[in-house]
Amino acid sequence: MSASPTTSGENVDKRAEAAGPSKLLGTFALVFLSMAALFAIDTFMAKMERSEKRREARRIFDEAQQLAAEGRNLEAIEQFRSGLSIARDNQEYELALARVLLDAGQLADAQTVVNEALERAPTSGAANLAMARILSRQGNAADASSYYHRAIYGRWNERAAEQRLQTRLELVDFLAQHGDKGELLAELLRLQDETVGDGALRSRLGHLFLAAGSPTRAAEDFREVLRQKPQNAEAYAGLGEAEFAERRYLAARAHFQIALRLRPDDPNTQRRLELCGQVLEMDPTRRGLETAERYRRSRRLMELALESASRCTGSVLPPALREMAGKAQAALGSRIRASQMDDATEANITLAEEIWQAGRKDCKQATTQAEEPLALVLAEVGQ
Amino acid sequence: MAAADNNAGKRTALERWLEGVRQSENNLALALSLVIGALVGLVVVAFILLTGRLAARMYPAGGAAWRRILVPTLGSLVTGFLLYRYFPYARGSGIPQTKFALFVEDGRIRMRTVVGKFVCCSASLASGISLGREGPSVQVGAGLASVIGRRLALSKERVKWLVPVGSSAALAAAFNTPIAAVLFSLEEIMGDLHAPVLGSVVLSSATAWMVLHLVLGDDPLFHVAGYHLVHTLEFGVYAVLGVVGGLGSVCFVKLLLGLRERFRRLPKWTVWFQPVVGGLTVGLMGWFYPNVLGVGYNFVERVLNGDVVLRVVAVLAVLKIVATAVCYASGNAGGIFGPSLFIGAMIGAAVGSVAHALLPGYTAEPGAYALVGMGAAFAGIVRTPLTSVIMIFEVTRDYTIIVPLMISNLIAYFISYKLQPEPIYEALAHQDGVQLPNAASRAEAARIQVAQAMREVPEVFPPAATVAEAAARARQSGLDAWPVADADGAWAMLGTSEMESAIAGGWGGQEPADILGDPVFLHVHPDHPLGLALERMGASGHKALPVVSRADVRELLGVLTLDDILRTYGVRKPDDQWGERG
Repeated sequence: MSASPTTSGENVDKRAEAAGPSKLLGTFALVFLSMAALFAIDTFMAKMERSEKRREARRIFDEAQQLAAEGRNLEAIEQFRSGLSIARDNQEYELALARVLLDAGQLADAQTVVNEALERAPTSGAANLAMARILSRQGNAADASSYYHRAIYGRWNERAAEQRLQTRLELVDFLAQHGDKGELLAELLRLQDETVGDGALRSRLGHLFLAAGSPTRAAEDFREVLRQKPQNAEAYAGLGEAEFAERRYLAARAHFQIALRLRPDDPNTQRRLELCGQVLEMDPTRRGLETAERYRRSRRLMELALESASRCTGSVLPPALREMAGKAQAALGSRIRASQMDDATEANITLAEEIWQAGRKDCKQATTQAEEPLALVLAEVGQ
Repeated sequence: MAAADNNAGKRTALERWLEGVRQSENNLALALSLVIGALVGLVVVAFILLTGRLAARMYPAGGAAWRRILVPTLGSLVTGFLLYRYFPYARGSGIPQTKFALFVEDGRIRMRTVVGKFVCCSASLASGISLGREGPSVQVGAGLASVIGRRLALSKERVKWLVPVGSSAALAAAFNTPIAAVLFSLEEIMGDLHAPVLGSVVLSSATAWMVLHLVLGDDPLFHVAGYHLVHTLEFGVYAVLGVVGGLGSVCFVKLLLGLRERFRRLPKWTVWFQPVVGGLTVGLMGWFYPNVLGVGYNFVERVLNGDVVLRVVAVLAVLKIVATAVCYASGNAGGIFGPSLFIGAMIGAAVGSVAHALLPGYTAEPGAYALVGMGAAFAGIVRTPLTSVIMIFEVTRDYTIIVPLMISNLIAYFISYKLQPEPIYEALAHQDGVQLPNAASRAEAARIQVAQAMREVPEVFPPAATVAEAAARARQSGLDAWPVADADGAWAMLGTSEMESAIAGGWGGQEPADILGDPVFLHVHPDHPLGLALERMGASGHKALPVVSRADVRELLGVLTLDDILRTYGVRKPDDQWGERG
């Protein structure tokens, strides 16, 4: 080893000199020719290999898709992994595997797979969406929302506008379940501009606006749908809900009635219609009522509030509530003249409201369906 | 006519340029490193692709199970015959053969062996024989470098330094690990991490790696999920993995060597079909566990990514140990690098699965342990701990696991060293009756240093002494040469023959400085090996050398004579002093 090219003092080997420049040239020429030939062969074989591997991976992927469609998730996972070991960086296969892992409840594995895809393509819309779904399933609402946004503003290879719209819709559905209403409303407002002319989407948006606490915008959407399809029962029902949320029970009842006429077998609309009727029949502040009728309703309101409080707190009422109950009993037992009815009505409504509030404060049970009209009426009169 | 003259002119210029390249050693080294790197890279890529395509034909998707028995059996039968009849030097891994060529054959590897290794290994590995492609690639690469060197009529020494250049290029392309290839060529092939061919080895490795990327793209050998240390408690689990990996490595090496010894004892006429035993064994195993066939890198990758079933990986670890040992021992062509990684990954995944089941909150996924297990088994089997750490890092490009990897590797290496002191490649060479130099023998050679043999500083010629006075003193002492010093210290050695010549020429009244001129002050230091002292004595033409301080080269610490060296080696008796006198 002492004859190193850098340390030895010798310069030229005698045998090399004897070989002559022609042989040197011939050897180098032969080597370079061999290299050119090998490069051509290698390139050809590499191309062939890539093509064969792509085909093989596709075959395995199709089989895996079939298994996933049949609900055989564990077998599908095995197949997807086989396919991925051949076509390592194929994002389509990776995300399909992540989807099946998610369906199989293997959230950590799914997250690992998607993380790898994101490492390679951090701006990929599809990969970010997959991560958002995983985080959503894990209950990590804040991060899920963040990934949904990255997916919306990320890169989509095909049908980008449609994919972004679908992702935003998925986001608003997610926010409707997990997020705060302000964020949901912000997303819905962005969506409103993108869904012009699409009746089904506007109808869906209307419901989402209701969930976001914006019945006015919901009503706009439902009216827009009705302009396009005047016989749309769902839009009427939605409009009814919007009016109901605005406490315009008469208008709500009218819309529910039309919806029910167009779609008679809708139990939900039927229930809402009945509720509207109950509220309207119970409300002592409704316009156009006779003084006596208003008084009668105020007494009834007080009776129902007392019943609710007693049911809630049991036979032994708390001292404050007991005092209110005494006043209520006295009011119910007293007979008054017609001229005093207006003042008595006001006093009854106020007392009913106080009893209801005090009862709810000590109550450990949720409001029952039967109490719903009472709650709605008292909420309205309280304003 | 003018065109012909022009071509002739260009040819002459090219020849002149080539001659210029050859005239300069640095340029030649640079040119050959690049050329060998590119050529070997292309050949190894062809080897990988050919093996892969052949395997795809032999085992088509959805193919019948009987293929798994028939194909390796027939494959080993055909390659066994070819190896016996045409390519006897292409058997086995290729690493011991390359070292043999380097240290015994002056770097000579025949083209026939290169072709044989390429063809037989492609067929053998494609048929599912449980061996690896990296060792054979090393022999092919070294062989091509050797053939080019000899065709250029380079000296034996130069052909020898081309062998690690070719090896490193081959390993860089076969494993996609340029740094580990350099380290392996120096650590295992040369046995010296400070070998002077380092520059050429690095250059060829980088060139081959670039060729690989040009043709096959930028993919590591294994794609691995990003693992990290979950808890410091894991270091303990990785240490356990090192122990298990080390024991598994020892089992593998001992089984392989034991089986090989038994095959060697069989009658000579059975040699050509001995490989069939390996083919049939792996075929029968493959009937039940197809992943035991071939190199198995696809399955390793799945395990590395967490696709682990404890029972399967544990069984595969055992089966692969047996299959590889039988395939290699029976004389099939192929290496043990790939199988080492497979065995390590399975052992690691098994240990990791158990650990993760027992301590889920404190341990990473089993895939992380499979990754570290690969390094542990490689360190235990191949016994190149530095290469194994870098190799695992390069094949996975995962840096986060490097500390656990180092711990496991060193433990596996230590256990393997204790239970199987002789490394596998040396043991294989010993079975063939070949004694290759190893790290221990090299350390032994360098063990005896100048300090053990040198004598005290003799009388130094004063600057004012004449040559005649100096010659008289020298004759009395019997030393062949004397140190000459001035006010700053020693600066030359003056030989008795030079003094006698000067006196005969009428220069006896002159000072030594007048007859020495500006000499090269050849010297040694106390920590130099005696071998180097002998070399320098030869270069100086004297039988005595000054021993000087490393802190000050003019400070004379003693003198070393040829007689001192011979006495230290025991060639001359201690009382036989001043042998030079006679």
